[in-house]
Amino acid sequence: MLLAVAEQVLNGLMLGSIYVFVALGMMLIYGVMHVLNFAHGALFMLGGYCAHLVFTQAIGNYALAILAAIVMLIAVGAVIERTVFAPLRDNLRNQVIASLGLVLFIENLVVVLWGPNALQFRIETTQAVVSLGVLRFRVQHLLIIGVCALCVTALFLFLQRTRFGTAIRAVAQNPRAALVVGIDVVRVHRVTFAISMALAAIGGALLGPLFLLFPQMGDLPLVKGLAGILLGGMGSIGGAVVGGLLIGVIEAVSTLVIATDYRDAVTFTAIVLVLLLRPQGLFGVRTREEA
Amino acid sequence: MTKIVRRAALSVLAVGAALAGFTPIAAAQDRVTIGVLTALSGPLAAPGRFQMNGINLAVEDANAQGGVEIGGRRYQVEIKVYDTRGNPAEGASAMQRLTTVDRVPVVIGELSSGVAAAVAPIAADNEVPFILTVPTGPNLTKANNRWLFRVNAHNDQLSQALADFISRQGWQPLAYIAWNNDAGRGGVQSMSRLLPQGWRIGYTGFFNVGEVDFSAHVTNIRNAGARAVMLFMDEEPGSLAIAQIKAAGLDVQLIGTLAMGSDRFLRRLDAQRLNGMVQYNAFPPNAAVPRIQGFSQRYRAKFNEEAHGFAAQSYDGLMVALAALRAAGSATDARRVREALTRIDHEGVTGRLRFDAEGQASPPVYVTQWCADGRRRILYPADVVADCGAG
Repeated sequence: MLLAVAEQVLNGLMLGSIYVFVALGMMLIYGVMHVLNFAHGALFMLGGYCAHLVFTQAIGNYALAILAAIVMLIAVGAVIERTVFAPLRDNLRNQVIASLGLVLFIENLVVVLWGPNALQFRIETTQAVVSLGVLRFRVQHLLIIGVCALCVTALFLFLQRTRFGTAIRAVAQNPRAALVVGIDVVRVHRVTFAISMALAAIGGALLGPLFLLFPQMGDLPLVKGLAGILLGGMGSIGGAVVGGLLIGVIEAVSTLVIATDYRDAVTFTAIVLVLLLRPQGLFGVRTREEA
Repeated sequence: MTKIVRRAALSVLAVGAALAGFTPIAAAQDRVTIGVLTALSGPLAAPGRFQMNGINLAVEDANAQGGVEIGGRRYQVEIKVYDTRGNPAEGASAMQRLTTVDRVPVVIGELSSGVAAAVAPIAADNEVPFILTVPTGPNLTKANNRWLFRVNAHNDQLSQALADFISRQGWQPLAYIAWNNDAGRGGVQSMSRLLPQGWRIGYTGFFNVGEVDFSAHVTNIRNAGARAVMLFMDEEPGSLAIAQIKAAGLDVQLIGTLAMGSDRFLRRLDAQRLNGMVQYNAFPPNAAVPRIQGFSQRYRAKFNEEAHGFAAQSYDGLMVALAALRAAGSATDARRVREALTRIDHEGVTGRLRFDAEGQASPPVYVTQWCADGRRRILYPADVVADCGAG
């Protein structure tokens, strides 16, 4: 049983890392632009497809394919930010509706470009199996966890230690005051969107080879990532990381005692319980409602 | 002068427009339209493509032979396709439209048992026959709906052959991984009912459509000490489940559905991982049966891939609809088409198709097994048993 728990904790950490990629990306956009971008799951999926395209059609090197996917998604994100979100900047409700519309648009665009069948993203090196005692994991599992840890650390350092990171935090706190002290708020929006796109691209490109690429592959990570944000506390980067990982581990370990089809019920019951005790989430800061 | 020229030009345009307007109406008299429900987008878009390939091939074959003769007149066959996206509400709305706005004499298709269950009562309310070609939920044809017919075998029929085989092999404890929907849950219920009493089931795990991580199931199957795993799902999750079972080093006999007995499936994995796996099959594309070989060749020529069971069943669905229209002698009277369907006896590419009192056909079901070299053999039924390369 201990072995099974160990296996599931590692599986949970892997899936949780994927949720972290989605949660962080959504969290950044929410923090700065105050919009829940529901298209983030679809963009995550697009990241996987872009990496696959570059890997199979051009380079054949996984690391470079991920980098190319990041660049491609940043470009897509720039177009979306300028054509969809920027014109609707003063209307939060319409931005949310537009992001829902984007989901339909992107998913069906992928069906048109790549067809409805799931694509295999085979990378021989990361398909190799690592044995930990009797348990066996693919290299891809460990790669996902490792890259996630790296990205989280880099993002944390960027936000805490750099001038631009400070500017992002300032805009997140109070856009008007940030503007008054000379921060280019529009630029902050654009860079934040780009970082969020890069995280989506990395997440999609990492998950693709483990499973399959298909138009709906971002739907589940989106919901779980969002749940991770709620669990960790809206507005807290550390909260999004811990929340995402916790959800991955809770849902993986719970399947050892409760039927797998109740997995989501277990996860969301845990979230409800946490929110009942700490409405601001695990790491959220309680703030007074602004007038 | 200019005015006259303009008037003349306008008159020519008007006559042209009138002619253009008349032509389709004249042509429409020679066309019979069959309604099609399928999933062209959403999570079932991939099997939907096979379904549409079969239907399109049937339309092409019928029209290549000069169309269908109904009541002494020849009609070109047309289809009106609606995308249900695998969603019962969209399916219901599409069926409503087909039967009340498009007023087709018969509707065929659909993939999901859940959508079919929502849609079938609408066909009955509007008195239009509905021929299922893929959904396998056994209850669909047991709902006392006189307007519903099914050309493909349902879960109980499919599982029977496999249950006999599993019990002969003594594969217990048996584990299941199944879709958390009518097809998956229905499959598990059927198999458990058809296996000998007291057959040990080590683990039953369900997953939602779209889920791709089977690690929890793999751990539980290892814990349960299962000897064999039955996978009730289609190609995509099937390939993922097998890849994850093998990667985790689980030594179990794999048992699959008809989606897992094709070259396409082999390309998703490899012969080494599939070696020894058995699956039921409604259409082994390489079987030495003339009707199967004929369809397989035509399908490959048109779509450049191995024929799929869903395509063969859907091809038969459309051909059965045409046979019923022919027998009914009417391209519009849905009531007569239904009467004709109850008496139909059609030699399809999947086998001989006749409907019982519940509207259910009983096409042959096969059990095939993967060989070490990536070919397949047929293990069941006894009269077509053949070695590697025939399945």
